[in-house]
Amino acid sequence: MRTRGSILIANIITGLALGYTVANIGFGDYAELNRMFTFQDLRMFLSFAGAVAIIVVAFAVLRVRRVPGRIHAGVVPGAVLFGTGWAISGGCPAIPIVQVASGYLPALVTLAGIAVGIRLCRWANTRYLRIDSGSCAG
Amino acid sequence: MNDYWPWWAGAAGLALVTINYAIATDRSFGVSGAWDRVLHWRTERRVERANAQITDDAVLLEALAAATAGPLGAPPLAPASHPAAPGDGGTPGADRLPPAEASSSMARLLPAPLVSQVGLLLSILVGGWVAAVTSGRFQLRLDMGEGFRQIVTDKPTEMIAALFVGGVLVGFGTRLAGGCSSGHGLNGCGRLQPVSIVATAVFFGTAVLVSFLLWKVI
Repeated sequence: MRTRGSILIANIITGLALGYTVANIGFGDYAELNRMFTFQDLRMFLSFAGAVAIIVVAFAVLRVRRVPGRIHAGVVPGAVLFGTGWAISGGCPAIPIVQVASGYLPALVTLAGIAVGIRLCRWANTRYLRIDSGSCAG
Repeated sequence: MNDYWPWWAGAAGLALVTINYAIATDRSFGVSGAWDRVLHWRTERRVERANAQITDDAVLLEALAAATAGPLGAPPLAPASHPAAPGDGGTPGADRLPPAEASSSMARLLPAPLVSQVGLLLSILVGGWVAAVTSGRFQLRLDMGEGFRQIVTDKPTEMIAALFVGGVLVGFGTRLAGGCSSGHGLNGCGRLQPVSIVATAVFFGTAVLVSFLLWKVI
């Protein structure tokens, strides 16, 4: 069942559903995002938190296995940088794709920035940071 | 404009996507991990080929071991280590499995194929486009909307700079933290993994702080 082909199909179905859902929740809309992060409107926050709650219960019932992971030196600084970038640009790595798909052409610049940041992270980790695997995939 | 889904529909949608993926593949997905692998496709293809070679060898060894006397059979080889982040498309931790289990699930322990990560990113584009068109929100435009204009900047050059710098921070930060809102937020928190709970709390908290600064101060 879990062959290359089945994983490809699962990824395509997941991508389609994720793009459709994220766009319809409104994550691509900067005004909605800022209203979520400033607690002016809890709708999107509840969508995310509600999803996590459902997933926690479902994974516990289905006994989905956990993936080993430790809190390494890159987690907190990385999350701070990500949170800052998300609040400024309105994009986590999936959202600018949805923004471009919705017609927001400047989101292509966000995607270019994400590409530079990802490549920069692996380069910096290989040369300088040398944080163990789990960070920058380096 | 607020014709977006109510919160419960959004929650159900995101949960269904994540649960369905976990059931179908016994993996977790992560968009930043997919980006990372696609952007480093040359290296990733080399790793993939090496893993395929090792897997082939391991299958051969397993068959030979089964055919020749069980107790003395050679232990299976572990797949070439891959640095995928927890909850970000990979399934690290192969080394923690007992040899017998590792041998039977060799393919499952390898990271999701590179082509499937390309498929994930492209299909997000298609899914987002279908949503925008069917809801009547699709509109080609050269700005990021009224909200961005009011809260961040209304000058085109500053907008480009803000989007680029923000994008770099998102790209660098998600890889440094080992995941993003899908890898850590949905898949990791859903599995109650401490690293994902910490990462999600920190990136969400920081985004709240910066958003308040943008909204009220700057």
